[in-house]
Amino acid sequence: MIPRKRNSDGSLMDSNDLAGEAWASAWSQMVDAGMKAVRSSEVLSGQRQAEVEIAESPVDLVFQIDKVRMLKYRPLAKKKPNVPPVLICYGLFGRQTMIDLQEDRSLVRNLLADGIEVYVVDWGTPTRADQYLSMDDYIDLYLGSCVEELVALNGGKPVTIFGICEGGTFAAALAASRPELFAGLALAITPIDFRGEPDKFWQGEGFLNSWIQNLSQDDVDLIIDTYGMLPGALTGAIFSSLTPMASLTKYNIGLANMDGDEAAILNFLRMEKWIADRPDHPGEAARQWLNELYRENQLVEGKFQLAGETVDLHNISCPVLNIYALQDHIIPVSCSKALSKFVKPDLYQEIGFPGGHVGVFVSRKAQGVVAGGLSDWIKSTQKPDRKKSVKSAKKK
Amino acid sequence: MANSDNAFQQMFDMWQQGQEAYLKAQKEAADEFSRNFSDATAANAFNFGPDATKSWQGFVNSWAPAWNPSAMMANGSVDNLFAQGKDALHGMLDPANWMNQAPEQLRNILNSVAQGPQFADLATPQIDAAEAWRESLDYQKAAMDFAKIMQDAWGRAFKRYSESYTLEDLQSGEVKEALDAWLKAANEELLETQRSPEFMDAQRRLMRAGVEIKARQRETAESWCENWQMPTRTEVDDVAKIVHELRREVRKLKREVAALKVAKES
Repeated sequence: MIPRKRNSDGSLMDSNDLAGEAWASAWSQMVDAGMKAVRSSEVLSGQRQAEVEIAESPVDLVFQIDKVRMLKYRPLAKKKPNVPPVLICYGLFGRQTMIDLQEDRSLVRNLLADGIEVYVVDWGTPTRADQYLSMDDYIDLYLGSCVEELVALNGGKPVTIFGICEGGTFAAALAASRPELFAGLALAITPIDFRGEPDKFWQGEGFLNSWIQNLSQDDVDLIIDTYGMLPGALTGAIFSSLTPMASLTKYNIGLANMDGDEAAILNFLRMEKWIADRPDHPGEAARQWLNELYRENQLVEGKFQLAGETVDLHNISCPVLNIYALQDHIIPVSCSKALSKFVKPDLYQEIGFPGGHVGVFVSRKAQGVVAGGLSDWIKSTQKPDRKKSVKSAKKK
Repeated sequence: MANSDNAFQQMFDMWQQGQEAYLKAQKEAADEFSRNFSDATAANAFNFGPDATKSWQGFVNSWAPAWNPSAMMANGSVDNLFAQGKDALHGMLDPANWMNQAPEQLRNILNSVAQGPQFADLATPQIDAAEAWRESLDYQKAAMDFAKIMQDAWGRAFKRYSESYTLEDLQSGEVKEALDAWLKAANEELLETQRSPEFMDAQRRLMRAGVEIKARQRETAESWCENWQMPTRTEVDDVAKIVHELRREVRKLKREVAALKVAKES
C-alpha cells in the first residue's frame, strides 16, 4: 500500500487536499501518457512496410534441394580464424531471418565480423503440396544433404552446426545419427526433453508443453488431417497466449511507452514483421513433432526414429555448446539442459542467457553474451585434430 | 460504364454468368430435392420457407416423435423468463440461460438423425444437414464454455487487483502504478487460469469443434468442386502424396546407383 501523504509539519493531509492533489497528478500523468501515444503515433504513421527491412546481410545460394536452400553469407572480415564453417539451422515455426534482424543486433554479423564462415538453411515456404514431408525428409534428407554439401565445400572435413529452437532438435538428431559430419554442435533454445521438470517451472514457463500434452493423438491428427498443415496462424496465436497481457497491450500501452523514439519503434516493427511472417508447418513433420516428441517424448526415451534407425543422443561425439534462456516462456530451461545427460562432460558447455526466447537473438545484451560466447566457443573447441576428413560425406 | 473491351467488365460479366449458372443449378437441385423428399414447393425449399421447415420437422419427427421444436426454443429464452415475471434477474445473470444456445434436447435430436441408419438413396442431405447443425451447436457451446472460463478469470483478476492495489492506493493519483499493478495482477491470473485443467479442456474442445467445422466446410467445398467438374482438395492432396513418394523413391535409387558406381570404381 502507498503510504498516505503528510503535510510539512508531519500531520496527515486533509482528505479534500489529498483528493485534489491526486486528481491533478492523475490528470497530468494521463495527459503525459496521451502525448507519448501521440508522438509514437506520429512516428508510426511515417513508416511504410517496405521501409521496415530485416535480414539485410547479403547472401549467395550455394546449394538447393527442392524448396530448401543453403545460403552463404558474404564475409565481412579479411582475417579468418582456422575453424570450420558454421551452418545455422532454424526451425520450421518461424523464419531464419531472426538471426539477422537488424544490423546492430545480428548474430550473423557478429560471427562474420569474427571472420567465421557462416551458412544458413532456408526452408522456403512450405505449402500443402509439402504436407507429406516428414522428419525423415527434413532432418535426414534436407538438413543431411546441406551438411554433406558443406562438408564437401570444406574439403571433406567436418563442420559446425548451430541449431535454433526446432532446428536445434533437428541438428542434435542429425549429429547423433551421423556424428562423422560434425566438428561441433551448438544449440540455442532447443527442446531435447519435451517434458522437462514441471515441478520446477516458474509461472509462465512450460505452458506450451502442458498444452500440447493435454491434446490427444486424435486431436493432433484431426488438425493435421483437416488442414494438411499445422497453420502458422494457430501456432502464432498459441505463442501470443504465452504472454497474455504483453500480447494484449503491445499495440497500445507498449507503443505509447516508446514515446516517439524512432529507433525503438523501428526495432518493434522489425520484430512485428518477423512475427507476422509465420509459415505453416508441414503436416506430417508437425504430427511427429507434436505426437512423437512433445506428447511421447521419444527423443530422450531413445525411441525416436530417423530414416528407419533409432536416434541415440549418446552418439553425439563432438564438442557441444547449449545456450538456453533463463526466462524462456516457450522452451523451459530444463527441456534444453537435458542434453547434458547424453554428452560427455568434457565435451559439453552451457550458456544460460538472462532473457527470453527471442531475446537470445535480438536483445542488445545477447550480442555480447550469445554471439560472443558462440564465437569464443567455436574458436576454442574446434581443434585441428577434430578436422580429419570424412571418408565419404554422402550417405550410403 | 466501360465498354466490352474493358478487362474488368469482361471479368464482371463472366462472374455474373457464373453466378447465374450456379443459382440456376441450385434451383434445379432444390426442385429435384423437393420432388423426391417433401411436399414443399421448389421455391420454398430453396428459400427455406415454412414449407421447407415443415418438411424438415416432419423428417426429424419421424426419428424423434416427441420433439416439439417450438416449445423447446421457447423454454430457455430470457424473454420467456421475463414473461413469467419471476426469476427474471436470475435469467439475466445466470450464464446458463444466455450463454447456452445449444439446448441438449436439440443436440440429442440431431444425434438421433445423424446416427440413424443410412439408406443408399434416401435422406443423405438431411443426415448431412443434421451433422453440420450439430457441429455448429457444438462449436457454439464450446465457445460459450470457453468464454465463461475467461469471464471468470477476468473476474478473479479484478479481485486480485483490488486486493493488491487498494482504494487508498488509487486515491494517490499514481496512474502508472495503478496500471502496472493491474497488468501484473491480470497477467498472473491469466497465466494461472491457462494452467487449470478447466481452461485446457475448454480450449481443447473449442479448437476441436472449430476444426470439425472446418472439415465440414471442406466436404461442402469438395461437393461443389465435384458438381463443377473441378479437382477436389482430396484429389490434389492425392497427387501431392504420389509426387512425394515418387521423389523419395527416385532419391533412394539415385543413392543406390551412386553407391554402386563408387563400389565399381574402387
